[in-house]
Amino acid sequence: MTHRTSPWELIGEMPVRETLESGLEIVVLPKPGLKRTYATYATHYGSIDSHFRPDGSDAVVDVPDGIAHFLEHKMYEKPQGHDVFERFAELGAYTNAYTEYTSTTFLFSATSAVGECIDTLLRLVEEPYFTHDNVEKEKGIIEQEIRMYLDMPGERLRSNLMHALYQKNPVRLDIAGTVESIRTITPDDLYVCYRTFYHPSNMVIFLAGDVNPDAVIGQIADHERTRQLAPHAAIERIYPQEPAAVAQKRVEQRMPVATPLWMMGYKDDRVGLVGRDLLRRDLTISLMWSLLLGPSAPLFNDLYEEGLINERFSAHYSSATTYGLSQMGGETPDPERLEAVLLQRLGSEPLLPRSFERLKRKEIGEFVALFENLEELAFAFTAFHFRGIDLADVPAVLEDISLAEVEQLRQEHLRDSMRATSIVLPLATNR
Amino acid sequence: MAWSNAQDRFVGEWKDGVAFYVYPTRRFKTVTIHATWIRDLSTVDRSKGATLAQVMRQGTRSWPTRQLMAARLEDLYGASFRADIAKLGDKQLLSFHITVTNGRFLPGQPDTVREALDFLTQVLDRPYLVDGVFPRTVVEQEKTLVKRQIAAIINDKGQYAMSRLIELVADGQPFGLRKLGTEQEVDQITERDLTTFYQEVHRGAPFVFTVVGDVDADVLYQHVKERWGTSRQEFSAVVPYQGRHQNQTVVEAQDVRQGKLNLAYRTGRTAKSADFPALVMYSGILGGFSHSKLFINVREKASLAYYAYSRVDPALGLLMIGAGIEFNDYQACRSIIEDQVAAMRRGDFTDDELAFTLKAYENDILSEEDSPGQLIGRHLEYLLVGGGHQGPDLIAALAQVTRDDVVNVAQAIDLDTVYFLTSKEVHES
Repeated sequence: MTHRTSPWELIGEMPVRETLESGLEIVVLPKPGLKRTYATYATHYGSIDSHFRPDGSDAVVDVPDGIAHFLEHKMYEKPQGHDVFERFAELGAYTNAYTEYTSTTFLFSATSAVGECIDTLLRLVEEPYFTHDNVEKEKGIIEQEIRMYLDMPGERLRSNLMHALYQKNPVRLDIAGTVESIRTITPDDLYVCYRTFYHPSNMVIFLAGDVNPDAVIGQIADHERTRQLAPHAAIERIYPQEPAAVAQKRVEQRMPVATPLWMMGYKDDRVGLVGRDLLRRDLTISLMWSLLLGPSAPLFNDLYEEGLINERFSAHYSSATTYGLSQMGGETPDPERLEAVLLQRLGSEPLLPRSFERLKRKEIGEFVALFENLEELAFAFTAFHFRGIDLADVPAVLEDISLAEVEQLRQEHLRDSMRATSIVLPLATNR
Repeated sequence: MAWSNAQDRFVGEWKDGVAFYVYPTRRFKTVTIHATWIRDLSTVDRSKGATLAQVMRQGTRSWPTRQLMAARLEDLYGASFRADIAKLGDKQLLSFHITVTNGRFLPGQPDTVREALDFLTQVLDRPYLVDGVFPRTVVEQEKTLVKRQIAAIINDKGQYAMSRLIELVADGQPFGLRKLGTEQEVDQITERDLTTFYQEVHRGAPFVFTVVGDVDADVLYQHVKERWGTSRQEFSAVVPYQGRHQNQTVVEAQDVRQGKLNLAYRTGRTAKSADFPALVMYSGILGGFSHSKLFINVREKASLAYYAYSRVDPALGLLMIGAGIEFNDYQACRSIIEDQVAAMRRGDFTDDELAFTLKAYENDILSEEDSPGQLIGRHLEYLLVGGGHQGPDLIAALAQVTRDDVVNVAQAIDLDTVYFLTSKEVHES
């Protein structure tokens, strides 16, 4: 075995990596002294992957919206006597799972019986069991989950913004799908998605805790050998071409909220980057938003003093290989005025070198602190992994970014044709 | 004091109205410092507390504006600072927290901990005043934001329904009061009132100071003694709930897509009670985890909800249940929930349920030790409830609980109030 270890001396971390013959990647981060072991098993498969060519097939498959999330729920279903929820409970471990646009993640968090928990996590992800009855039963539960989101103003605000920004890219759809779309899901649909995307060469395991990394990797490697899976050919995912214009400039919804919620987004048409290039773009635009609208920025200050925003107002960039976008927003008594001030100043606000150095320092401090929060660390690690980014590259790339680069990206990114606004307004009777 | 050799446990004392507790450890990459003033919750000044917490993060004498404070925190390697209002039973907590990355892990090894402590001290002791009072523009600006926050409670339906339930149970007692007060109360606050209120709280309110991280407890103790060591008011423990209602049911309607069903039960016990660990086990078996009765029966078997849980308020001695459901499933869901409570009363739970619950708590409690914020939170709760068990000690107490103990506490659990938030259309038809 060749374990590649990155030099992490300054921050005192020593991750150990391994790629198995099946293509499965494993990363173990020893955390001496911590009580908890936190592990995630993730597939590079999310809500946007509903159009693809299964391995060895010529036909393109279309599956219902929300199926990746439905599949995540159904992975917990096992034949009688093999229940994984119960097994985790017996081991005293916590388990959960979540689905995003580009990935699905299963996890456990345990303070004892780590070896057994690893086995159970492997079984959770590697043994599908879908029947007509168990699929039908799940529909009621997921319908309630979707309805819960429908009552959350922040969720509606974001969801409406994505619908407005994107014309074709499936990030425009809600991750859980709709009450109608999930009703059409069948066990066969689930098996097709499972076989295509839950293959080791499309997956990664991340584990952090007070463990012996070689023992953990050895245990997983032994188990995986028994599955006798060879690496998969690359999965052909089919995404529509996204036009360089938004679907809708503006979308409004009325809900029982006290004060209007406002959110504005810029979609990025520079997609397809991976690895260091993607990381660099991500960090550069993030620094731009901190400079323009971070809590110490003059523009933030003026908006705050005018009473247009509260301290939770924020702006950030998020990206994957298939999409990228900036979002900013919060609660405001006057969405029109807020938007007008921002549009007037975002493009011309001076970007100051002193603030730039300060914000890089902030990023470095936060990067180090990330290693003490295992949930956030596993999340960041997995997100980066599926984008071909090595977490270890963050400090060096950050250091290398210049203010001129930020300025250049600002001019490129803040384009009117790529901008949309979402607003949630109070019900008429509440006013 | 000689606490310099202590590791991985809280050391400190509670004397003259000042609770000083430090958890020295090398497990973390950050240091978290937390300071809290405690007030009895009342309609007279709760809104002043809420406004004060906001105003105090708008400027100190060293960094007179919000913007300069924000820049200072960025300079401190992105230290995070919060000033907020929390509620525990009938207490209002004005809390100030700062978390900073330990300089040991940063280029040049700066002493970030000392600077973070200095920042927090400036916030508490040297707020920015003009002619001896908080600047009017700042106070007015923050009053507006507090009023918006008060109104925003309707945005989160699950939280709103739970807060309505507590109000109905309390029926005028202080623990039912909302922690931020009302818009009318905020309107009446002047910058002079707020300054006087600050001076009173700063001088005399019971004060809790807690730190988790790689620090020297003796050095911190000196700092606290010098700054805040003068005699302060003694803290009075939270008053538990004495039952008032029998099956009170309240249904309210709003423009919502999902109904929220919440139930409150009296338990007759608080964290101080000798058999409180049995109540904790009871709640765990009923609805604390995904192997629990509520999750299995409401969600997995009947597919009526995405979430269904129970939890115990250790200060008030209330057991609360919550579920998000279809409007028309109100009766069905309520029956399933009440059936599970009845099953508990009959002792109708397996040894596995008991064993799984113990293990799940063990996992939860040990996991708290990996999070500075949770370590501080649970220690604060332990102090304010005025006793009981916490941490590994609580695990040991839970392990002693027998089936009979659980059945015994189950006998005393009585339904107090049910609150159902439904949709306008369904309610009117």
